[in-house]
Amino acid sequence: MEPENFQELFHRLEREVSKVIVGHDDVIRKVLIAFFAGGHVLLEGVPGLGKTLLVKSLSQVLGMSFKRIQFTPDLMPSDIVGTQVLAESDGRREFQFKKGPIFAHVVLADEINRATPKTQSAVLEAMEEKQVTVFGESYALESPFMVLATQNPIELEGTYPLPEAQLDRFFFKLLVTPPSPVELKEILQRTTGAESAGVSSILSDDDNRLIGGMKQLLRQVLIAPPIEDYVVRLIYATQPSSSNGSLAESPVKQYLRFGSSPRGAQSVILGAKGNALAEGRVHVSYEDVEKVVYPALRHRIILNFQAEAENVNADQILGALVKQVPRT
Amino acid sequence: MRELSGQNSRESPERLVSRLVAQLSHQVLWDSLLCFFPPLLVFIYMAGYLYHGAWVGPLAALLVTLVSIGIGILVVTLRYRPLVPSVAKASRLVDEHAGAKDRFLTLATIDPSRWPAGLVARLRAETASFLDRIELRRDFPYQVKNSFYASLIGSVLALLLFHLLLPVAHSTLTSLPAPQRLREVAEKMAVRPRLLEIARSLQTLAAKLEDPRVVHEERQALIEETQKKVGEQQKKEAQKDDRDLLGQAASTLKNLEQQSGAGQDQQKNNEKGGGGMQSNLPQEGQGKGKPSPGGGGEQKGEMSAQLSKDMQQGKTAHSDPKEQSGEKNSQKQGDGKSNQPDPNRPDPNKPGMEKGKDSAGKTQGGGDDKGGRGKTSEEIPQGTPPADRFHQAGEQGREGIKGARYVTVQLPEEVAAETKGEKGGNKDTKGNRVGSKVPVSNVPLPAHVPDAPTETQHMPLEYRGIIR
Repeated sequence: MEPENFQELFHRLEREVSKVIVGHDDVIRKVLIAFFAGGHVLLEGVPGLGKTLLVKSLSQVLGMSFKRIQFTPDLMPSDIVGTQVLAESDGRREFQFKKGPIFAHVVLADEINRATPKTQSAVLEAMEEKQVTVFGESYALESPFMVLATQNPIELEGTYPLPEAQLDRFFFKLLVTPPSPVELKEILQRTTGAESAGVSSILSDDDNRLIGGMKQLLRQVLIAPPIEDYVVRLIYATQPSSSNGSLAESPVKQYLRFGSSPRGAQSVILGAKGNALAEGRVHVSYEDVEKVVYPALRHRIILNFQAEAENVNADQILGALVKQVPRT
Repeated sequence: MRELSGQNSRESPERLVSRLVAQLSHQVLWDSLLCFFPPLLVFIYMAGYLYHGAWVGPLAALLVTLVSIGIGILVVTLRYRPLVPSVAKASRLVDEHAGAKDRFLTLATIDPSRWPAGLVARLRAETASFLDRIELRRDFPYQVKNSFYASLIGSVLALLLFHLLLPVAHSTLTSLPAPQRLREVAEKMAVRPRLLEIARSLQTLAAKLEDPRVVHEERQALIEETQKKVGEQQKKEAQKDDRDLLGQAASTLKNLEQQSGAGQDQQKNNEKGGGGMQSNLPQEGQGKGKPSPGGGGEQKGEMSAQLSKDMQQGKTAHSDPKEQSGEKNSQKQGDGKSNQPDPNRPDPNKPGMEKGKDSAGKTQGGGDDKGGRGKTSEEIPQGTPPADRFHQAGEQGREGIKGARYVTVQLPEEVAAETKGEKGGNKDTKGNRVGSKVPVSNVPLPAHVPDAPTETQHMPLEYRGIIR
């Protein structure tokens, strides 16, 4: 796989999804980067912003199997991963494993915070292990496998917020923001007219090798040691207990309870590599890192009560960090 | 330029970064040198100046110079080493100038063996396309940093301060005893054959100055003679070192002469006193003036004793302003006048202010009288010279008219001139007569006649009818 091919294919996918999703170019790009980096994405936004449509369109253009799970409080883990059922074949009765909706290339976990923690953990285990175990028997999930979970930041009554340890398993957390007036007008023109736009598949089931090649290329993207050091400094700077004197007065000390895990650093590096490839480069630049710091770390840093009381969000803290941490 | 561009395009990006590192290192080295060169020069100049001015010996000057150079090298090294740009820093600079989005940085810092060769080759090819945008001399010219200007200004200020403070240091150092200074200069001169004679003269002078048997006039003459010699030698000398030494000697001698002159004045003042008071009243001659409880009576008594001693010797104290000032100086230096309490201020240690006032009232010139006027008692003398014993009251004797109760006050000329025509004199705020405004009264008091009729007072007219 050549970098030029990657870039071309990547842009084709972006353009195709953009046919049905107006705006959110950054979200589309980040979702595609997460896909090729082998990660899962948590989409957060109020209802009606096209989160589900985005995921559905993405699976269509990728030519992957797509399953949607609507999370509710009464959803059971077996409803997701599947269960053993007694089946009769050739006059013999035996238990057969009936696969749940998790067995798909692209899984949409809609409103994941409405399910109980028990059910959430079943999904999240599958996300991490890429396999499920039912009655002591493990079943491998599809490859490529990607979970796109959505959650609603409002209407928190009756929800079960994802634990930090489970949030950490998402590669990116993307914020789906309301469209601008221009974008809204475009949405209206596309959806209220006689013709409705649709997406066509760019890849097919047979292109698994191609996707595998793209994933491999992403990991081969060159990154300079000073940039790796910069990422390390950024991650270390998110630790409130870090002994970085220059950041003593930073919002980190003031508003953070816990900093990012090493998974955050991995996400930043892989995300930066994906961004570099998407821009036609075979090396990571500082700008790539700074572009992916926010989606990679915003759900990995845990704010304290003071931050919530003062309505300080994670992006503000990360912005301050990016300004404070020197590149060299 | 075109040639350079062609050269750049043939050059590998890594090589360009290496060249930039070397260039920036040189620039940093220059910066460090320029930063510490002015102070180093100033130190060396100071050492040289002190050496030429014979403040320090050649060894000390050499040592200071070498130490300054050593410290300079050390400081330059310490400053230079951390500022040497790394490959990453240099490549980032190239990236910023060429807009290469960290291509130079990546290429210069990665280990090619760890990464796919195809991607590295691709990156190198991409980076090479940016080489034409970079011209090291053009894009990274050497510019003198502000630190150099700051260092230069600081050094010049230090130099000015050195020259300003040197005289102060000189005066501080020359506060050593004069003979010692003369010996030091003489020792320095002794190593120079042409100044050997002067050195001997200075040694001799130093010895004489320390000899208590040598009288003042002799010292003075010796100083003047040596000064003359030094002056003549100074005119002859062409070498700066020798002239400096001679200058030091001349300066020391001049100071010595001034001190000697001042000492002589002081001595004169001590002998003469400033102004004075002559009384025809016989003195005990022991200098034991009546102690005044009100105002430093003992010291005043001493002054009075001094005066009376002079008077007995037939000397008339006279005053001129210089002597008066000299006297004041001498009082400040030696006689503990400063310890005297202020007569106008009540002293808690005094047994009684009234007594002091009485005493002051009895004294011509009042209790406020300062300086050499002293205090003369009006009490009847306990003893008279034998020759006067046979004189009748009112007769002219050796000490003047016998029994005449008057005092002769001789004021300093300037005070006398001021008070000329002022019969009443001035009074201070407390009503006491101010010493300098004491009226001159040489009118002899009427002779005391024992059998003379007493003065009768006429009865006031308004009482005559009543009493009669």
